[in-house]
Parts: sequence; C-alpha cells; structure tokens
Amino acid sequence: MKKSRKLMALAALAGSVALWFSLSESTRRYIVHLGKQVPYLPYRYFI
Amino acid sequence: MVSDYQVVVIGAGLGGVASAALLAKNGFKTLLLEQSDTVGGCCSTFENQGYRFDTGATMVMIREPLEAIFRRLGKEMGDFLKLIPCDPIYAVRAFDGTRFAVPADLDQASEMIASIAPEESNGWKEFARAGRELALRLGEIIGTPANSVSEVLRMQLRSPETFRYLLLSLRSAQGLTLRYLRNPVLQSIVAFQSYFAGAPPELGLGPSCFLVLSEHQGVYYPRGGMISVPASILKAAEEFNLEVALERKVERILLEGGRARGVLLEDGTEIIADIVVSNVNAKVTYLKMIGPENLPRWAVKAISSYQLAMAYPMVYLGLDAEPPLEAHHLISTASMERSNQVWNEYYKLGLIPPGDNWMLSWPTESDPSLAPEGHHILSFAWRGPAPYAPLGENWDRLRESLGDGAIRVLEREVMPDIRKHIEVVEVSTPLDFERRLLCPQGAVYGLFFDLFSAAMFRPHPRSRVVRNLYLAGASTCLGGGVPTALASGIIASDYIIRDYG
Repeated sequence: MKKSRKLMALAALAGSVALWFSLSESTRRYIVHLGKQVPYLPYRYFI
Repeated sequence: MVSDYQVVVIGAGLGGVASAALLAKNGFKTLLLEQSDTVGGCCSTFENQGYRFDTGATMVMIREPLEAIFRRLGKEMGDFLKLIPCDPIYAVRAFDGTRFAVPADLDQASEMIASIAPEESNGWKEFARAGRELALRLGEIIGTPANSVSEVLRMQLRSPETFRYLLLSLRSAQGLTLRYLRNPVLQSIVAFQSYFAGAPPELGLGPSCFLVLSEHQGVYYPRGGMISVPASILKAAEEFNLEVALERKVERILLEGGRARGVLLEDGTEIIADIVVSNVNAKVTYLKMIGPENLPRWAVKAISSYQLAMAYPMVYLGLDAEPPLEAHHLISTASMERSNQVWNEYYKLGLIPPGDNWMLSWPTESDPSLAPEGHHILSFAWRGPAPYAPLGENWDRLRESLGDGAIRVLEREVMPDIRKHIEVVEVSTPLDFERRLLCPQGAVYGLFFDLFSAAMFRPHPRSRVVRNLYLAGASTCLGGGVPTALASGIIASDYIIRDYG
C-alpha cells in the first residue's frame, strides 16, 4: 500500500515536471508571475 | 481649522470629480481639493504658446459611465460636452510594414481584415463572436462593483452570459489571442491593447484583448480637449454647491479612533469632515497620507505587495503645418513576442526600450480650435514601457533625448520634414507625471493590472481598514483609463450614499 502511494506521488511529480516543461516560456512566466502574488491574496481581498 | 463639510474629496482626477459631483447632487456638502492649478489629473489639457495639449488621456471610449454621471446629475450630456467621433478609429503601422486604417464600423473592419489577412477571416470572426458580448456590455460591467465575492456573484447572476469571461480571465491576454488569431499583424494589434491595460501580453488579463472590439462601440474626442470631460461634469454640478479648491495639497488624512475625520493640508490647515474620499493612488493614500504606523501589519503587507503600473512618457508637438495622417490616432505595433521581450529584457532590468510600440494622437484633426489657425498638435506616447528609474540615468537628463527620439521616429514614419514645422516641443517624463500629478513613479494607470490585482483583489473603494475613508481612481475597481476612472467615482459615491444617504 505504502509503496503504491509512493509510486503514485512520484508519478504525479514526474507528470507535473513534464507538464511544466511542455508549457511555452510565456505561459511559464505567466504562472510564476501570478504564483508570486498568491501569498498576498488574502490580505489584498481585505484592504 | 475648517469644519463645515460632510465630504472632502482629495484629487480632482476623473474619479474625484465624478464622486464629488454625484455626492453634491445627493445633498452632501462636498469640498473637492486639488493640488495642481487645474482639474482632470491625467485627463487634462495645458496651454503653451497658443497650443492646447492633452496631458495624458487622448480619447474617450466606452461612454456609459460618462453618460451615467450626467444622467444621475439630471442633466443632458450634450448641453455640456460635445464628443466628436473618430472614424477611422485609428491607423496602424505594423512591425512588418503593413499599413491600414481601422474603420469604426465592426463589419467594415472585419471586411478589411479579411482583405489584409484572408487566411485569418474565420479566426477573426470567432474572436469577434467570443468578445462581442463583453464589448457590448463593458460599459455596464465597469460600472458594477465587483469588490467582493458576493458582488462578483451578484454581477454573474444579473448577467449570466458574462460568466465565461470570468473563466477566460484565468488566461493571459496572449493565451487568449493565440487561441483565435494566427496572423502576427493582427496579434500585434490585439496585443497592443494589453499595454492600454498596463501589462505586456503574456501577463495581461485575458479579456483585455477584447478591448480591440469595444473600440468599435465608438472612440471619441471631446471638443475643447480632454479637460472638457472633468470640466463639463463640474459645470453640470455647479448648482449643487460643490466647492472646488485648486492648489490645495493634502499632506495627511486625519484619523481619530480608526476613522478618517478630515485632512491636513500642506499649509497646515486642517479640514474636518465626516467622510474622506481619496482619488490619489492607493499606495500613496495608505502609506503616505495615513502612514504605516496607523495601519495593521497585514494592511501594510497588502498595500506594499502591489506593483505600480508602468509609466508612459509623452512628447507634445505644436506644428505650423498639417501632418500627413489618415486618422486622429496612429498606432505603431511591435510583434507580440517583441512586446514581451521588451518587457522582460528592458523594462524589468531598468533599461529604456527601443520605441517599437507607440501611439500618436492628432487632436486638431477633430478639433482645430486647439491650435492657432492652420497649426496642428501631435501627442506622441511611448508605449515602451518606460522604467521609472532608468539604469544609470535620470529622466531629467533624458528629457531632451526623449523629445528628439520621438521627433526622429516621426521624421522616419510620418513626416520627413517635421523638424522645420515644429514651433513647440513639450515633454512629460515619468518624473514629470510624478511631480505634477502625484502619480508615484509616473504610474498614470495606478497599480499594475492583472488577474490578482483586479476587481476584488484591488484596494476596496470603501476602505476596510480606515472607517469613513473611500477610494476612487485608477488604483481601485478595474484600473486606469477614462471610463474606468469615471466608473470608480460612481462606485465610491454609491457606497457613500448607501452608507450615509
């Protein structure tokens, strides 16, 4: 059970990495740009 | 100390003018304070040697907020303001040498696009179909508050057909453009719009690419120059006892027990009021006029996290001859990739980008009275974008080369003998905008505008940190631009009327 969970996690990670590198550079920059702002969203919502 | 007002509005930019006029109409004793000697902020006009130049804004599109203000004031807009339609809406000089003028009629524009890019005919139709609803409803959308989850839900319930635009907001302007258009020239024109909203195509809010369609609802120039927009609103509100005080700079917002109770002017005068409306950039309002020491830490963190919008240097020319132009506006577009490259490899590093993206306005084409008879005005806006602090340079030192650079571009692209016809040259650098209009870093569009700094993630028009404080202007609601700034004033006044009326 534990082993299969580990394998699934590893597959998900590998899939995410593959997906990330399949994106265009512009899309990656867009995601990074938005991602950097995520921690501030709760504060921004209440200002 | 003066304590005779219910409302003090800081800043006579469009948001300030609109909110002050509407509050006065609704019986609030209102004082509108402006630090400069004229009204309008970025939507203003100044005179030099008989030429009347527009400070920043160069056109009126999406008329609904403006019409709504006059309607709410109980006045007929046509009695106060004459809007001259611009048709063609603009001429284009694309990066590959393609040149054409875009007619105001969308069907005619579609035919013209089919002739310059036959392979794109279907893509353009799809694009137009996808954005049509948004283009038609943009006036209504920008005038509807969307500052909280409940307000956004209410908006969706009222106009369910706009829901898909909410989903499209997850994509960048570039992502959405590429979904429909393959032709690089058309892409470049659509991408140019994202700089209108203050961001490069790869970072801009997806639906901003549909702005290119909303222009077909009409692009106008106000007779008498852009200052006619705020001036006409104030004229219409004259009978409601609205007081306007020019050259009165606000230093601080006065607080008492966590609520705003007035303002302190630079000359030491205190003006006490029940309600304060700030039309100044939200960063300046919170971090300078109120001060971090008077704010909770989370609020300082929130307001500090916003990036400022980019600056747009402008060069204004007075000519003794008519320029050979086909339309009131001319845009020069770089390819979409180039627009992104300029952002990443120049702007972000503090370098001044080459002038690929620019817009030229020819106001005397619509209103010849702005210049002496037979003379003309051109306003050249670098859509660079331009960094506030150019690496190893200073805008005051760059002023002359900025003007000369614009003239060289116009010599090459528009009028080879322009130099011998120039009578007046004026330049506004990002530093000038900061000094004259109090736009920090020359950011005339307020705060950067993207998915996470729009609508409910932008500073709320009814401050949630300081009671009795309301905000209007480009750093609230849906960002900068004439219609959105006007709408921000309507929204702020609506909140106040609901809270106190």
